[in-house]
Amino acid sequence: MKSAPFDYHRATSVDDAVAVLTASDGEAKVIAGGQSLVPLLSMRMAQPTVLVDLNGLAELRSDRPTVTDGRARFGSMTRHAQLAIQTHHGLAAEMAGWIGHTAIRTRGTLGGSLAHADPNAECPALALACDAALSVQGADGVRTIPAAEFFAGMLQTALADDEILTVIDLAVPRRWGFAELARRHGDFALVLATVTELADGWRVVVGGVEGTPVRLADAEAALSSDASTDEVGRTVEESIVAYDDLHATSRYRRAMAAELVRRAVDQARRTQGEAS
Amino acid sequence: MTTDRVTTDRVTTETKVELSINGRRHVVGVEPRHTLGDVLREQLGLTGTHLGCEHGVCGACTVLVDGEPTRSCLVFAVQMDQTEITTIEGLAAADGTLHPVQEAFSACHGLQCGFCTPGFVLTAVHLLATNPAPDRATIRRELSGNLCRCTGYVGIISAVERAAVERAAVERAAVERAVTNAAAVAASAADEPSSPRH
Amino acid sequence: MVASLDQSTTTAGPIGTSPRRKEDHRLLTGRGRFVSDLQLPRMRHVAFVRSTYAHARIVSIDCNELDPIDHPVFTALSPGFEVGLFAQSALPGYVETEQPPLARGKTRFAGEAIAAVVADDRYQAEDAAEGVVVDYEPLPVTVRAWDEPQHPVHDAALDNVLLARTFSAGDVDAALAAAAVVVRREVVTNRHGGNPMEGRAGVALWEGSARDGHLTFWSGTQIPHLVRNLLAELLELPESNVRVIAPDVGGGFGTKAVLYPEDLALCLMARSLPGTPLKWVEDRAEHLAAATAARDHRYELEAGFDAEGHLVGIRGEAWCNVGAYSVYPWTAGIEALMAGGLLTGPYKVENYRCSVRGVATNTAPSGPYRGVARPATVYAMECLLDSGARALGMDSIDIRRVNLIGPDDVPYRLPTRLIDDTGHYAECLDACIERLGLDELRAEQARRRAEGGKPIGIGLACYNELTGLGRAASAGPRMPFRTGHEACTVRINPDGKVVVLSGVTSQGQGLETTLAQVVAEAVGVNYDDVEVRYGDTDQSLWGFGAFSSRQAVIAGGAANLAAVDVRESALRLAAELYEASPDDLRLENGSFYVAGSPEAVGTLADAARVAYLESNRLPPGFEPGLDATRFYDPVMGAFAAGVQVAAIELDPSTGEITILRWVCVEDAGRVVHPQIVDGQIAGSLAQGIGGAQYEHLVYDDEGNLRTGTLLDYLMPTSAEIPEFEIGHIERPADNPLGVRGVGEGGTLGPAAVLASAVADAVGIDIDQLPLTPERLWLALEDQR
Repeated sequence: MKSAPFDYHRATSVDDAVAVLTASDGEAKVIAGGQSLVPLLSMRMAQPTVLVDLNGLAELRSDRPTVTDGRARFGSMTRHAQLAIQTHHGLAAEMAGWIGHTAIRTRGTLGGSLAHADPNAECPALALACDAALSVQGADGVRTIPAAEFFAGMLQTALADDEILTVIDLAVPRRWGFAELARRHGDFALVLATVTELADGWRVVVGGVEGTPVRLADAEAALSSDASTDEVGRTVEESIVAYDDLHATSRYRRAMAAELVRRAVDQARRTQGEAS
Repeated sequence: MTTDRVTTDRVTTETKVELSINGRRHVVGVEPRHTLGDVLREQLGLTGTHLGCEHGVCGACTVLVDGEPTRSCLVFAVQMDQTEITTIEGLAAADGTLHPVQEAFSACHGLQCGFCTPGFVLTAVHLLATNPAPDRATIRRELSGNLCRCTGYVGIISAVERAAVERAAVERAAVERAVTNAAAVAASAADEPSSPRH
Repeated sequence: MVASLDQSTTTAGPIGTSPRRKEDHRLLTGRGRFVSDLQLPRMRHVAFVRSTYAHARIVSIDCNELDPIDHPVFTALSPGFEVGLFAQSALPGYVETEQPPLARGKTRFAGEAIAAVVADDRYQAEDAAEGVVVDYEPLPVTVRAWDEPQHPVHDAALDNVLLARTFSAGDVDAALAAAAVVVRREVVTNRHGGNPMEGRAGVALWEGSARDGHLTFWSGTQIPHLVRNLLAELLELPESNVRVIAPDVGGGFGTKAVLYPEDLALCLMARSLPGTPLKWVEDRAEHLAAATAARDHRYELEAGFDAEGHLVGIRGEAWCNVGAYSVYPWTAGIEALMAGGLLTGPYKVENYRCSVRGVATNTAPSGPYRGVARPATVYAMECLLDSGARALGMDSIDIRRVNLIGPDDVPYRLPTRLIDDTGHYAECLDACIERLGLDELRAEQARRRAEGGKPIGIGLACYNELTGLGRAASAGPRMPFRTGHEACTVRINPDGKVVVLSGVTSQGQGLETTLAQVVAEAVGVNYDDVEVRYGDTDQSLWGFGAFSSRQAVIAGGAANLAAVDVRESALRLAAELYEASPDDLRLENGSFYVAGSPEAVGTLADAARVAYLESNRLPPGFEPGLDATRFYDPVMGAFAAGVQVAAIELDPSTGEITILRWVCVEDAGRVVHPQIVDGQIAGSLAQGIGGAQYEHLVYDDEGNLRTGTLLDYLMPTSAEIPEFEIGHIERPADNPLGVRGVGEGGTLGPAAVLASAVADAVGIDIDQLPLTPERLWLALEDQR
């Protein structure tokens, strides 16, 4: 289980990283924390010609996020461990604590997890739940992609081959709830759910049922009209088409999505707002 | 400084990296694809770091990089330039005296075959550095990134609990000594007429 | 008891205490010596090219891209690769088949080694392996042992049945016809395996010519002498020219008690490349795909009970998935024969008929794994008892009580003719229930039923562990050898320190420590003055190694005999040197004492010096030196009784199970090192829980392994495994040390305990493992 050969480039700036990506014709890979990428390299399921390492880029790290107007901005190289202990975004801290184990969180990054776009991971759901605005920089300059347009499918994003995710701008929810079901402590979730109250209303997001995390409009409407927790749960089960895989059937995933949304709703309704 | 070398079909470059391992500086030539775990074991002969799965699940290869637990199978050595690394070989004293966590693992039968042990010990050392008095449930949660196939974990949890208690006792003793000393100083100072009284 | 794991260690260490393990210091400081740590001059590395098809003819293997000097490639057509592994059994109904070192003509499972390449390091070996192109012609695939065979896996067995046998006693048909109730259960168990944290590894070095060379094979094997024996035969070398060394080994659990085709291939390659040490370190993906697994079984069983709950008969059939090959040396019968032979466990029943078969399929081979078949049979048996209790309206504990073999029944002859020499099951059960606090839990269970709350269930399993099997009960199905004995040499060096050369091996069980305790006590020296060496066929005379919970009983027995002999020689010599009667002398802590005097008259070191260096002072007829080599064979075995009881809580909304309590009480006989014994029990309980709830090697219908990494093959972590409450009843076994084996018992209970607890909590029968939250949730949905 050893990687195929590749060249290594330690980026000196975002511009420098973009230049190498641009020159490599889609054969390069960006490495952030590497906690999902390195296994793929070791199993030779990915064989890039060059690895562009962002770990030296202080500009992408943020020891503390910038908070303005009810939104928190994180550098893409924010480690999960940092995310878990910061106090500006409670939901981000809670969800980061569920990612893997200590030795994964010390290395893995928020930006890396979003770019990897595993639907069973915490960060993509967090981004969608908090109306993330994702700043990306490429050969053509900087653009901002809303989370709703960022995730294109299982392990697929709107990032072009020469683009790098630089900043993640998350709304700080007034109230939130989060629930996750995994086979073992620290595993990728079978299913996870977030309920967030943003400035424009409630969001209900479920991960682990489709190729990307999904927002559930019916559940959001039910929440907005003060429906009971059970009623919200029922709309969840009705509005999801979950996939079958080795670890769970579609039927179980749907039922668990409903159950986890119920738990998240209860938690959100119990808590006081943090950004009010 | 790089040199070219031909493997089967691709040219790979070798890069020099500087690592401080267990307090000692090493400069090694590595291919970009060489993981830290492989470089420790194959090039530096530090075979105490064990590779149990090479895909980041089992935790056997955990080392401390700048004090943080890190899977040495999930980072490349070339990324580790200028870092400080602690491996299992770096814990015991030069005369063989075990680190308190190692000592507790032995006392509580926290190891059987010993293959997963280095990763557990280093993870536990970090845990106790950040949380000096974890309860058993916390220890179970915090060590859940390391797999052990022999012990059923009971001895490992007991070992970490014991190491925490013993450390606390050592610290308490140090505090008591300090208090006693301070009291003695105060008492002797009390004999002097100039000492303030309240 | 958990408490004994916390007990302080000492440097003394008589039997029954827990001295500091001799293994610990080097393993804790990163100075263990595992095969994968070995670095030798000129060493090169091997990677195997593995089949991507479960069943296919190999049309061609193209390696023209590779430079034959830089990257030698070996296939079944390479010179010398005509040999193969034939696991042999004299049982009627056994079909002998061959396992080639590299797939020959066709591949029989996805992951089978087809070619091997050599390079300067493992990275380059994997690069080179990508340059080997195999052209396949796919064949129909059979994955399950109980499915209609699609295409014979081996030409010798057109129906894929490599072993079939019917165990029969009494008149079961008549007994069931007359029974008050007859219950029927069909259960399927999940394939899983040992997955030691260190995978397989080997280094082979051939020195000298191909015909008259010397082979050294470092291997993580549990059975070095057996490996030497067969390698010598296949390589046509005198056994003295083959040396097998098993250094520190990172767990085995049976997985490494097998001679694998990769092992043989590595040695054949070494013969072709004399002077070059060849190293192969298996990665985890290879391990999951190609190392032996186990427990892929199906049982169809009926049990009859009389009105008081007595078992009157058991009738049934079992299918055990052998995988693609009959594993060397244990054969395709290892699981099926154990399943049929011990299905009835610790319960009395006279009328019994069970037909078992070991069926070849296009999956990785099955082999020995801690508990061999019994985690499945105990689960099946306890399911029958739970169903019987429900049919009769009896309490699930009471129905077990009335059927357990008791002290008055022993020696009890099982319907399969095995003799159970323990009757301490009820004692273990009582101890479990007392510790659990059954009444309180029952009250809480009732309260939650009445007032709501997550349901609680109490489950239990009773089992016997066959340990320390001597020649009359020897492990394995009538193979061309009997594994009943073990040799040990105990030598006192001229400085009075003791060296023990044992034929046994250790993969974490602490045999270095246990044997040192046994020898220290038998000779009369300090624990610290005993050094134990094992795992090297050039050092120890003979040993079968580690399996079947035999090490403490048989290797311990041999060590004890040799140590007693050496002590007697030393006392004879001392009697002459100190002019005392041998009967008045005793040896303690390395010094000689005469009866009635507290002062030592001399030391063992003094006597040893005379024995080796001052023959002029030796008594007439006393041969120089102080050592003894003895074999020990207990002839029969030592059954070990065990019972596990647990309380669980279910979350009906997700199907998740929380284990509230887990109590295990076993009869380990006389306990040599309490910490090590409890560690064996805790470790085997955790593996049992892993197998019951998490671990599952899943194949799709094309024979592709879908759980090929540890992201999908789920082993339990410290967050899933509960605290264990371990208790002992110490009933000395009938052997010189009074010990019983303890390595496997823990694995036998968990599936049965959890299924029984679920039945107790919510009345649902669990007929398929693993017991996942989804499986339980679906069953609860059906019930709702």
